[in-house]
Amino acid sequence: MSRADVPGAAPQRRRRSPQRRAMRLGLIFVSPWIIGFLLFFAYPFFATVYYSFTNFNGVGAAHWIGFANYVSLFHDSLFKTSLFNTFYYTVIELPLSTVAALGLALLLNMNVRGRAIYRTIFYIPSIVPMVASCMIFVWLFNPATGIVNDLLTDAHLPSPDWFFSVAWSKPSFILLGLWGLGQPMVIYLAGLQGVPKEMYEAASLDGAGSWRRLRSITLPMISPVIFFNVILQLVLCISYFTQAQVIEANDIGGPGTSTWFYVQYLYEQAFVYLKLGYSSAMAFFLFVISAGIMVVLFRSSARWVYYANE
Amino acid sequence: MRTNRRTNRNWSTRAAGRSASKHAVLIVVSVLLGFPIFWMVLTSLKTDPQSLASPPLWWPHPFVWRNYPEMLSAVPFWRFVLNTLMYAGVTIVGVCFSSSLVAYGFSRLRWRGRDVLFQVMVSTLLIPFFATLIPLFTMYKQFHMVGWYLPLMVPTFLGSSVFSTFLLRQFFMTIPEELSDAARVDGANELTIYGRIIMPMAKPALATVILFQFIYCWNDFIGPLIYINNQVWYPLSMGLNLILGTYTTNWPWVMAAASAATAPIIILFFLTQRTFIRGIAIQGTGLKG
Repeated sequence: MSRADVPGAAPQRRRRSPQRRAMRLGLIFVSPWIIGFLLFFAYPFFATVYYSFTNFNGVGAAHWIGFANYVSLFHDSLFKTSLFNTFYYTVIELPLSTVAALGLALLLNMNVRGRAIYRTIFYIPSIVPMVASCMIFVWLFNPATGIVNDLLTDAHLPSPDWFFSVAWSKPSFILLGLWGLGQPMVIYLAGLQGVPKEMYEAASLDGAGSWRRLRSITLPMISPVIFFNVILQLVLCISYFTQAQVIEANDIGGPGTSTWFYVQYLYEQAFVYLKLGYSSAMAFFLFVISAGIMVVLFRSSARWVYYANE
Repeated sequence: MRTNRRTNRNWSTRAAGRSASKHAVLIVVSVLLGFPIFWMVLTSLKTDPQSLASPPLWWPHPFVWRNYPEMLSAVPFWRFVLNTLMYAGVTIVGVCFSSSLVAYGFSRLRWRGRDVLFQVMVSTLLIPFFATLIPLFTMYKQFHMVGWYLPLMVPTFLGSSVFSTFLLRQFFMTIPEELSDAARVDGANELTIYGRIIMPMAKPALATVILFQFIYCWNDFIGPLIYINNQVWYPLSMGLNLILGTYTTNWPWVMAAASAATAPIIILFFLTQRTFIRGIAIQGTGLKG
């Protein structure tokens, strides 16, 4: 790219044609993705924006109604509840999962025998099918017959109603989320193993303790990996759906609207009530919010993400 | 060496103590993380009254195996599995085909605009699935594709699996450029180089892609929930959801279903652990900034 851009390096016409040919060839190879991008991202994105200004119901024509959908959104208390619930989940789950996944990776990075066995055990929860893990957790945390409350009662601790309680249902979902952190954990582990050993040795010689080494070497060195994982987890949190839907649709938890998440409300408006215009407004709002958060994160990353090889 | 060991004795007992405490922490965490799976399997081997016993029954004797055949015949479990395998099979073909071509274009060829397009592709990962879902649904509905797996299959032939493309690209970039150059000198075109040289070398990466796609389909719930409405075509995830909705009065059955759905994936994980872990690590350490 850069070599060809040098001005006046060679007669223009002779240079351009191989460059064009290279570009055409490249585009041919990536054309499946380009078609897919236009069909499955670009078109639906602009269509969502358009629908959000209409009262489209899936059949017949969409009627332009201006900002009416957005105005009703801000008068819709369920919209606010679901937005709040998703915000709550994200704000608690994101830091907890980051610390937990990193903690698990640090444990696995210790120099002990049988690391592979521990790694396997730590990883397995995250490949349990999501519906199955919902089943397991609702059963473990069953207020009356679950083992967790049995053990808590034995220990003379309070035994809440977990998924069935307004106060505890969100924490229950957070616990469920914390169980399946295998993927970020493995990514952290790979990052930890990429930190040069000499850095630790040098720090030890200088008398740095393990906490100091973690703060001054490990965390800065793996900050790109932390950034990557935070972004991925954030996308998951914002679109939190499956677990809540499975548990609530089967009436085994999430009383009232205590765990009614944003995307669930969007799904219901679109596919149960066929209010496609209204739900498109919700979809576009979701996009704007998540894009906003991403921009803030990427901006801030310059301050705390350290790229060793740049 | 012997003297060395003797002088270091004090040091080595301390190291042994430290190692023991490390193991203690690791074992406690392992028990916490492993317990839900243990309890799932154990509950599936109890009678219904045993599963509800308080204090809890820690070891049913004898194991009640009949929950499995009973559950398997109460719901079309094998049908769900078959549907899932079909969904996985077709999309694996789609992903291997399209993601490898796209990855080739993004790694083995040099052209103007390549890096910009690649950035665009990676950034689509950040867009929530639901942000673009509604027009997609109405589009598929217009083409009479709703009700079966086509809306979930077609995109995989058009590079929808960005993670797979990314992973393959990372792998392709590690293959020395001289191999391609030598073939070009011999007059091979890019499609030949892709098919004859790069793809055969990329077998380990393709194995990872296949594995991830399989697990994705085995778990996928949202996609089928939106597009599949006939129970005959339910994949395993929705079958499990159906079981959960129908048999919450019989937890050993529910846990038998959960175990039956989890066991194959865990066995697969044990068989392919290296491929697995390496694949995730490549994604994580490659995708920076």
